[in-house]
Amino acid sequence: MHFRFEIIFDYIPLLLKGAALTIGISALAIVLGSILGLVVSFGKMSTRWYFSWPISGYIHFFRGTPLYVQILIVHFGLVPACIGHTDAIVAAVTALALNSAAYTAEIYRAGIQSIDKGQTEAAQSLGMTSGQTMRFIILPQAVKRMIPAFGNEFIVLIKDSSLVALIAAPELMYWSNVMRGQYLRVWEPYLTAAFIYLILTYSLSKLLGWMEKRGVTG
Amino acid sequence: MSTAPIIEVTNLHKSFGTNIVLRDVSMQVAPGEVVVIIGPSGSGKSTLLRCLNGLEKPENGDIRIEDRSLMQAGVKITEIRSRMGMVFQQFNLFPHLNVLRNITLAPVQVRKQTPIKAEELAMSLLGKVGLLEKAGHYPASLSGGQSQRVAIARALAMEPQIMLFDEPTSALDPEMVGEVLAVMKELAAEGMTMVIVTHEMGFAREVGHRVLFMEQGVIVEEGTPQMLFDDPKQERTRAFLSKVL
Amino acid sequence: MGKRLSVLLAAGILIMTMAACGAKSDNSSGSSSESNKNEKVYKFATDAAYAPMEFMDKDKITGFDVEFLKAVMEEAGLEYELKNTGWDAMLTEVESGKTYDAGISSVSITPEREETYDFSIPYFESTNMIMVKEDSTIASAADLKDKKVAVQGATTAETLMAGIMGNDNSNLKRFDSNAVAMLELDSGGVDAVVADIAIVREYMKNNPERKLKGILDTASFGSEFYGILLPAGSELKAKLDPAVTKLLEDGTYTKIYKEWFGEEPNIDNVLNAK
Repeated sequence: MHFRFEIIFDYIPLLLKGAALTIGISALAIVLGSILGLVVSFGKMSTRWYFSWPISGYIHFFRGTPLYVQILIVHFGLVPACIGHTDAIVAAVTALALNSAAYTAEIYRAGIQSIDKGQTEAAQSLGMTSGQTMRFIILPQAVKRMIPAFGNEFIVLIKDSSLVALIAAPELMYWSNVMRGQYLRVWEPYLTAAFIYLILTYSLSKLLGWMEKRGVTG
Repeated sequence: MSTAPIIEVTNLHKSFGTNIVLRDVSMQVAPGEVVVIIGPSGSGKSTLLRCLNGLEKPENGDIRIEDRSLMQAGVKITEIRSRMGMVFQQFNLFPHLNVLRNITLAPVQVRKQTPIKAEELAMSLLGKVGLLEKAGHYPASLSGGQSQRVAIARALAMEPQIMLFDEPTSALDPEMVGEVLAVMKELAAEGMTMVIVTHEMGFAREVGHRVLFMEQGVIVEEGTPQMLFDDPKQERTRAFLSKVL
Repeated sequence: MGKRLSVLLAAGILIMTMAACGAKSDNSSGSSSESNKNEKVYKFATDAAYAPMEFMDKDKITGFDVEFLKAVMEEAGLEYELKNTGWDAMLTEVESGKTYDAGISSVSITPEREETYDFSIPYFESTNMIMVKEDSTIASAADLKDKKVAVQGATTAETLMAGIMGNDNSNLKRFDSNAVAMLELDSGGVDAVVADIAIVREYMKNNPERKLKGILDTASFGSEFYGILLPAGSELKAKLDPAVTKLLEDGTYTKIYKEWFGEEPNIDNVLNAK
């Protein structure tokens, strides 16, 4: 296989620009997804059916359908319905955040339930409401334990975000598709993109490992 | 008893699934009284204590704290709890907060005290339990005895009318039991109303005004420590005491 | 340092694995072609998602290219087999030339592509068309400069619009298929779609309720010509080219063209191209 490095150099600025958007979209999606995920996990743990049933449906939908289809639905259905026209970056962040929330909800649930029951009882015995207990006692401890899982979710999102090239959000995969189109060559764009993704996810997992070692988490 | 009871339990019934833990339990505690509950494990004594501040929900009967029923719909349980301190067997300190913040959190958040005032009180309580120098430490660095003394200070910071102790020395190494009991003794001497579930018979005899012996979900016998320990009326009480003394 | 090495190593393993997989599929195809040694069956790849040029009618590949290829191979007296491999697989397979001998998929002949592939002589003239909503004020390619435009990636429409708008212009949106690009126009994500004239006409025919119009701008969008995609140095070119010329000249091509597009092709343009 003859590898044409010169066409990679041609596209490096665009690929890096795309990688920056990949990071941006994924980072925004993980932030929004984890906020939404918290709401979703409370809904799921709620004993009231009118909270827990719709939330259950939400989780089943976003975990049980391909992200590919979710991106199309958000881009061509949800976003136009909300803002009148569609926008690839808005749709990309929305789809990834909605999808991610269905998974981060589970991280919250596991994290919250991993905190000893005695902590809740101690807080309640001091007269704290369940909201105060959650905010001052449970979440601060649970979040620390959840950081590795959130890091993994971020890595998953970075990889999954490649699917938004589908709706022409100009991220890393999009620009490698453009590169492929110009030269009708497959390996140069795709392996270059894969290599950049690898650098992103590898550095992120190293950072997480470092945080864990430094005792920032768990 | 001449004064109105501060705790009044009537015909309390509680079960976990098919396992009946409390059968028709009634008891009263007067203000300033120190009541010690003894009995074998599984006798329901801890459950009774936990019912008193709503950590367990009984199915039947009534609990009145300062003449307010816990069983009534719409009762403000958090308000009643804030007037009742509880000390747990496993301390349950908040590991992510230092000792001072463990103590001041509830006064600031629940009683809406200013942080400065809460800290003043916390420091004086830490002095009382002999742990002033530990204010900035985290729970992980404390011994069991120190942890339990901090837990007592934390409960006292809410300036409660009643203190509940759920086997406060059971998780401690023997050499640390004394320091915790000493704090409790001092508290009793100050006139705090206390309900204590414990296996420390010597302490029960010395500090308790009244001792309740529970077995299989009922209060088998109650009386002054002298009556109960020296001259138990019931065969089951005698059998239990012969085993633990 | 050790860590960096291990990443490189992992990437190396990845590439080798892929190379190994490629080699394996080559072997299996080699043995199957050996079974009918007397007559070589030429394998053609296509991306059958480009109606009316090539598309799937249920589980059968059909379209203008498919019918045309049938006529060419008949004329050349060659056995062949056409498979829907998808776009990327077609490109890699034809480049290596091991499993597939050629590709036919409305591939326009461009200088950049000729750096990697050989092409048959041109067999189809096409141009790009602008598709907009009926009430749009866009009238020419120049009007698109500061508008949002959707194209299918890896098409000449993309190359043309990148030339007009700038390659890194974020208002130029490339989609994986024309179907999604056209949906983007419906959803208000773009102001126009630029695509092959045949594709645009087919879409407008199938979706009259969408109230769309097509704009031709021959000054900006010149003719382009499709060729059969071949590996560099393919011996097949010498067999295909005469057959293509023959069909263009003897009226067979015109007949197939009219069947699919309902109009006469400009044979001279195709014959004189290049």
